[in-house]
Amino acid sequence: MLKMTHLSKAFRTEVVETYALRDFSIHVREGEFVAVTGPSGSGKTTFLNIAGLLETPTGGTYELDGQDVGALGDDARSHIRNQKIGFIFQAFNLIPDLNIYDNVDVPLRYRKMSSAERKKRITEALERVGLSARMRHYPAELSGGQQQRVAIARALAGSPKLLLADEPTGNLDTQMARAVMQLLEEIHRDGATIVMVTHDPELAARAQRNVHVIDGQVVDLGEDPKLHMNVSRISA
Amino acid sequence: MDFMPIIAALKRQKTAAALIAIEIALCCAIICNALFLIIHRLERSSIPSGVPENELVRIQTTSVAEDPDVDARARAALQSLREIPGVQGATLINQVPFGRSSWNSGLRLKPEDKNTIVNATIYYGDAAMLSTLGAKLIAGRWFEESEFGDFATLLGAPDGEQPKIVIITRQLGQKLFGNENPLGREFAFGDVPVRVIGVLDHLVRPSIFDDATADCSLVFPVRMGAGYGAQYVLRTRPQDRDAVIAAAKKKLAEAMPNRIVLDTKGFDELRDENFKQDRVMAGLLIAVVVSLLVVTALGIVGLASFWVQRRRRQIGIRRALGATRGQILRYFQTENFLIVTVGIAVGMAAAFGISGWLMHHYELPRLPLYYLPVGAVALWLLGQIAVLAPALRAASVPPATATRPV
Ligand SMILES: Nc1ncnc2c1ncn2[C@@H]1O[C@H](COP(=O)(O)OP(=O)(O)OP(=O)(O)O)[C@@H](O)[C@H]1O
Ligand SMILES: [Mg+2]
Repeated sequence: MLKMTHLSKAFRTEVVETYALRDFSIHVREGEFVAVTGPSGSGKTTFLNIAGLLETPTGGTYELDGQDVGALGDDARSHIRNQKIGFIFQAFNLIPDLNIYDNVDVPLRYRKMSSAERKKRITEALERVGLSARMRHYPAELSGGQQQRVAIARALAGSPKLLLADEPTGNLDTQMARAVMQLLEEIHRDGATIVMVTHDPELAARAQRNVHVIDGQVVDLGEDPKLHMNVSRISA
Repeated sequence: MDFMPIIAALKRQKTAAALIAIEIALCCAIICNALFLIIHRLERSSIPSGVPENELVRIQTTSVAEDPDVDARARAALQSLREIPGVQGATLINQVPFGRSSWNSGLRLKPEDKNTIVNATIYYGDAAMLSTLGAKLIAGRWFEESEFGDFATLLGAPDGEQPKIVIITRQLGQKLFGNENPLGREFAFGDVPVRVIGVLDHLVRPSIFDDATADCSLVFPVRMGAGYGAQYVLRTRPQDRDAVIAAAKKKLAEAMPNRIVLDTKGFDELRDENFKQDRVMAGLLIAVVVSLLVVTALGIVGLASFWVQRRRRQIGIRRALGATRGQILRYFQTENFLIVTVGIAVGMAAAFGISGWLMHHYELPRLPLYYLPVGAVALWLLGQIAVLAPALRAASVPPATATRPV
């Protein structure tokens, strides 16, 4: 699904050049749920940004869903983001001027999709996260956990193949974090590939596979058998 | 482009959006009227005179000493002017187009009528007037030699000795007789009925009080003498004008030692002087319109830039969710279009309000309806031009802004 080889990302300012990623190689298979951990500043967000086509790497190759995306233009990258990728951010990133319904509608509007189809998808997605009753509310009127569920609904509505989450529970208390995690696990069970950055070891332990990033490089912790037990216990 | 989500988002930005809309509305209202006034003024100054202005020169003289034979001398002088090389015609008339000082009279259809129908200007001219001025006779005939009288004789004479035939302009004919053929018709000049024997296409008045009657002139077959504002008019090619004027001054000094030349001017110069005020006014209004447009455009640029700055994050989010640069650009363009449209709608109502007020207080015609679509298109364009730079800046917000807020 996602294959990076010898990827590097340098940020150049006038004075210094810092490498956020260096010789970064990773392969995420279709249907995997990968948790990415690592110290602050190690390059996790940079990795997700490149994976989600929000930033371009300085070197190396990146294949997404079997396609080399290195040479694609801005519009093509926008279309791929819109159709194949769902984003969940730490800060929820809902649009404050739009109500919940319209927020979920945003990515669908960028596709040429009939309004009936959009309506169906929005209602389904909001039902799935349990917020159908709040459609006409504005983000500011919801709790953090509810806002993050709206963001998940927004990501789901486009039925993406790849879900990228950057510390999705970072701004939530434990209880809300668990609810969000549960939701992600359900989505994963339905077939989505998920890459999630988290600082929470408990949450990381619930993923199929853990990837540790240190200093812009991957330390793959592989598949922990303990995790499989956890997952099967929840799904049972 | 979908309007609905943009309108939904705008509802949460009412104040700022309303500010721009009001600015546009004011601009629209003022500019529609100002443009109308400008065009009105410029149209005035290009009103047709009916004569080849660049070929005509007027010469005014004034007396410095008594001379009982002055009228005879004046006519002799006229004859000598015709002999100057380059002079194609010379005439002596009481007033000239755009010459400002004018003889006017209110006209009635019959002497017993109470109300005058129209105020017209009165030209007194000799046999050479028509050919010298080059005015176009479109119906009837010019006066015959035997029909001319002398102004001096006319002066103290009873009404009955006034000329009984007259040549009028087409416009005066319409004012007097509507769409009917004026030829052969009579109207009252003072208490004397006069009959129309010819119609001129145009012959503009010396001074225009009202644009609607600028061409209301009539000509009587009356030979002027030297006094009473009588002026020589010479017809000459533009390139001969200076030489002809110099020669004419010499001839006049020889022929009339007791008179001096007061002023020589081409008809084109007279027109220029006549409409100087209008041009200054139009220039002033153009300056107002341009500054208003600039101020409005700057207002839009300012607010749009502020908005883009404030919405950087949500632009980044939209980009992350799959918006192309073009879609972001169009979002801001559409938003501007919607706000400007509201402004225009309000502005048009205001434009008509202002126009009504101007009509009432300054006797101006009603703002023609076609100014509104023209104004609307102009403001839409203005809005789009003004929003382009901020919208392009918005489109260049990197998608990573969603994950790395600055
Ligand atoms: N736009 C940028 N310009 C310059 N340096 C940057 C930029 N973005 C990130 N970096 C640097 O790249 C490195 C990796 O940053 P990144 O945000 O990927 O870390 P992270 O692992 O997500 O950290 P955190 O856990 O704090 O979110 C850091 O040293 C950071 O300072
Ligand atoms: Mg990060």
